[in-house]
Amino acid sequence: MPDTLTHPTVTAVTLDLTINGRRQRVQADPGARLLDVLRDGLMLTGAKEGCGAGECGTCSVFVDGKLIKSCLMPAAKAQGAEVETVEGLARTGDLTAVQKAFHKTGASQCGYCIPGMVMAATATLRDNPDADIEEIKERMGGNICRCTGYSKIFEAVEIARDVIAGRLPHTALDPEAVGNSFIGHNTRRLDAPSKVTGRLRYAGDMVMPGMLHMQVLRSPHAHAKIVSIDTTEAEAYPGVHCVLTCDDVPGEDGFGVFVEDQPVMARDKVRHVGEAVAAVAADSVRTAREAMALIRVEYDELPGLFDPEDALKSGAPVIHDYAADNVVKHIPVRKGDIAAGFSAADVILEESFSTQQVEHAYLEPEAGLAYVDHDGVVTVVSPSQNITHHRHMLSHIIAKPINKVRFIMSPVGGGFGGKEDMIYQGMLALAAMKTRRPVKLVFTREESFVASAKRHPSRTRCRMGLTKAGRITAVEFEMLSDGGAYGMSSEGVMRKAAILSCGPYEIENLKVDTKVVYTNNTPSGAFRTFGGMQAQFATESMMDMAAERLGMDPFEIRRVNMMRAGSLTHTQQKLASAAIDRVLDAAEGASGWEKGAPSVRGESRGDLDGPGTRRPCTLGARVRETATDRFRP
Amino acid sequence: MLYCDTYLQPATLREALELLRVAPEGSRVVAGATDLLPWARDGRGGDVQVPHLIDITRVDGFSGWRLEGERVRLNAGTVYQEFLEDPDLVRLLPNMPQCAAWFADDQIRRQATLIGNIVNASPAGDGLPPMLTLNATIEVARLDGDRVQTRSVPVEAFVTGPGRTLLQPGEIATAVTCDAVEGYGGSFQKVGLRRSLVISAVCCAALVKTDAKGRLVEDARLALGGVGPRPIRLRDIEEMLRGKELTRDLIAKVSLLPARHVASRSRVEYRRAVVQGFVGSAIEDALAALCVCGTHSTAKEAVDA
Ligand SMILES: Cc1cc2nc3c(=O)[nH]c(=O)nc-3n(C[C@H](O)[C@H](O)[C@H](O)COP(=O)(O)OP(=O)(O)OC[C@H]3O[C@@H](n4cnc5c(N)ncnc54)[C@H](O)[C@@H]3O)c2cc1C
Repeated sequence: MPDTLTHPTVTAVTLDLTINGRRQRVQADPGARLLDVLRDGLMLTGAKEGCGAGECGTCSVFVDGKLIKSCLMPAAKAQGAEVETVEGLARTGDLTAVQKAFHKTGASQCGYCIPGMVMAATATLRDNPDADIEEIKERMGGNICRCTGYSKIFEAVEIARDVIAGRLPHTALDPEAVGNSFIGHNTRRLDAPSKVTGRLRYAGDMVMPGMLHMQVLRSPHAHAKIVSIDTTEAEAYPGVHCVLTCDDVPGEDGFGVFVEDQPVMARDKVRHVGEAVAAVAADSVRTAREAMALIRVEYDELPGLFDPEDALKSGAPVIHDYAADNVVKHIPVRKGDIAAGFSAADVILEESFSTQQVEHAYLEPEAGLAYVDHDGVVTVVSPSQNITHHRHMLSHIIAKPINKVRFIMSPVGGGFGGKEDMIYQGMLALAAMKTRRPVKLVFTREESFVASAKRHPSRTRCRMGLTKAGRITAVEFEMLSDGGAYGMSSEGVMRKAAILSCGPYEIENLKVDTKVVYTNNTPSGAFRTFGGMQAQFATESMMDMAAERLGMDPFEIRRVNMMRAGSLTHTQQKLASAAIDRVLDAAEGASGWEKGAPSVRGESRGDLDGPGTRRPCTLGARVRETATDRFRP
Repeated sequence: MLYCDTYLQPATLREALELLRVAPEGSRVVAGATDLLPWARDGRGGDVQVPHLIDITRVDGFSGWRLEGERVRLNAGTVYQEFLEDPDLVRLLPNMPQCAAWFADDQIRRQATLIGNIVNASPAGDGLPPMLTLNATIEVARLDGDRVQTRSVPVEAFVTGPGRTLLQPGEIATAVTCDAVEGYGGSFQKVGLRRSLVISAVCCAALVKTDAKGRLVEDARLALGGVGPRPIRLRDIEEMLRGKELTRDLIAKVSLLPARHVASRSRVEYRRAVVQGFVGSAIEDALAALCVCGTHSTAKEAVDA
């Protein structure tokens, strides 16, 4: 039994369980959850820990035939129970109908939610083999997918239901014929079987002999000087193998995608709540947490910056010495002559837009495993979205030649840009070097929220001049983004925001400025669209408002301005082809748009509530059914 | 993280009470653990050390329910999924299936007990408003010397504020008893961010009984949750409805009243707006539920007339 399961000071409980049909006796900590016993004690890592609070469903298992969330069940409660995990479904090796259907429809993307989804789908069809789509959705409501693959998942459950009931032949689960070309055909995902069976191991599922567990002490302050860090008591705590601070960094301490402004652990000061200050590697997670509580950090709080506009004011607190003006990056784009453009305009619109911070909330919290191999190669296994760059940065940080640094990319349980920054791999490498043991770190969901980068909150001011015919004559576009405490991917995000700023429209005169500043908020970083979303929100809203002002159809005003083959982009690249015309046609058709200006026409609109409109959430299919069945005379 | 030294699973109430009496300070009773485990997380309780956890789900007599005259006795082990799946409970407690359907998700409902929800006393607890409409009382037991003593308290009085109840140290709740209201139409309204796994911003429970023609209100019961430190029963509105013919005007009139009860610390205006719509829909949905049974086919039409 691994030492992670029981803590030296407590008496283990002995659990007799039937797991996937086999009698098992397990020793567990009396406070352990069923999820811990399955994963750490029995190596059944198909059940995942996505949130640890019952919110996500990655840990769903059957206990005595009932599907439950194993992160919410004390293991001791399951004493004597029959437990069935995702590994128990396809025991003979052949996938179940549900698993095959998931494979068929391509229902697995990152795969991290998939074992739980397969379990929830299985439970749904076991409880009601005839469940209709509404009931399927409702019964699976406790399982969350962040790659937004719900449609394919529901499609899979309906196919499985019909195959099981004999309404569809078994061949409905076979792959579709591809013929000579993959283009235009559904192709099967090669990794789907490993995901639907729970066999795929993500970084948090991996173990190595002698492996230690890391926990990270994080800053409670947004901006503070570190006066002192006393690790003596933590170092002396039984079961602790090392305590790390920035003093343990042998090389040049700094990482970042564009500017290497972030130390592996806070150096001299902390710049945001949740910043890593020290780390402990110990025999168990619990020991590491107990030792962490013994580290004494003395802080001297500094005035903080929480609004990007304040960051630009003179006399504002300086967050990084190298950037006295707090500006991380300013990207200007100029084309034509905006003064002339605006004077040629019949109407000028001006509006401000803001977007908020967003967390990626990939279901796999950050996790990694590092070790030093027999050749002295420092190896880090993690779901990094940027391993080559991480490898180069780490070689400077640990002062080793590049051939002594290795990064292995583990399956990414959702990233969406959020796993591009090297926020924990450095600590793992240092701990492995210091202890000469494999070291693993798995973030809690809460830790992932406070420590990982977010989507840039933005404020945009846009001024647009147009002729009466709807042709744009000039645009002035200014975006200020909150970069948070570190640079991370901010520069790239600003570049993309600037390049895409005015949308797929050909504009002869424009002046674009995107700027990102440091604050003491959680750092902003890469997030799907990489700045495009914030800019498009402003520009597309402007297009709709312009249509309204000019009494034009919103599709029409876009067609008047759209880029075509031969157009010059905002950065003056000549396009060989453009597809926006077809995109507009398709969107117009699919939405059933009623032609005309977008002015509110209320209930008189003919395109409201048509086919394909999503009904509002209503009460459960089952409530209605029971009531009707029961009261039927 | 939750750490505990000893996990106990008593088989009888007496044993459970004895274990609780001798348990070191900080020990906890646990039922479904769906409030207890999420509480022991960073940002809430953090790392907590609970000396003894006393799991009451295997206590003899804690599972199941029975009809006692005009009242339903729900033993301490009753979980939310039962209100959705047990056809007799659906019939006897007609606003609980809707409450259950909106409560957490299927998996959590199989663990989450009604009593845990009441003892947890969250201002947003979904079980509280329907329990108020069902005139529920909670029975708690304690040891007096060697004797097991019980007392009963109306749920309305038992919950005194956010996370606060009249439960005394050494006491274990054993059952909730509520009115059996077969023949009433029941409804439950909830607003939150999504359909499953969502804590109510506001919730509202209703029970309505009409005369055989479905015109006159014989009895109406309404309660709100999420609008202040504790759930509230809307007796003033009930009084205005009783004996009356339900019309759109009357519903519109009574819908205006509860806004003043909103005493939340956040989103007050939003909650006021929601509450107004909720009282109307709660009554209408309760009537609609009666219509499904066929005997009151005109109830909804009466409103629309
Ligand atoms: C993801 C998620 C979603 C949720 N959604 C909802 C929701 O939609 N609506 C809602 O209202 N709640 C919701 N909850 C909260 C929770 O599920 C409920 O409050 C549940 O009813 C608690 O019951 P339990 O049996 O799990 O209680 P436990 O966690 O076991 O106990 C809760 C408290 O009650 C005490 N207790 C339990 N039983 C007894 C007893 N017999 N005697 C004395 N004390 C006792 C415990 O000591 C503890 O203090 C949700 C929780 C999660 C994790």
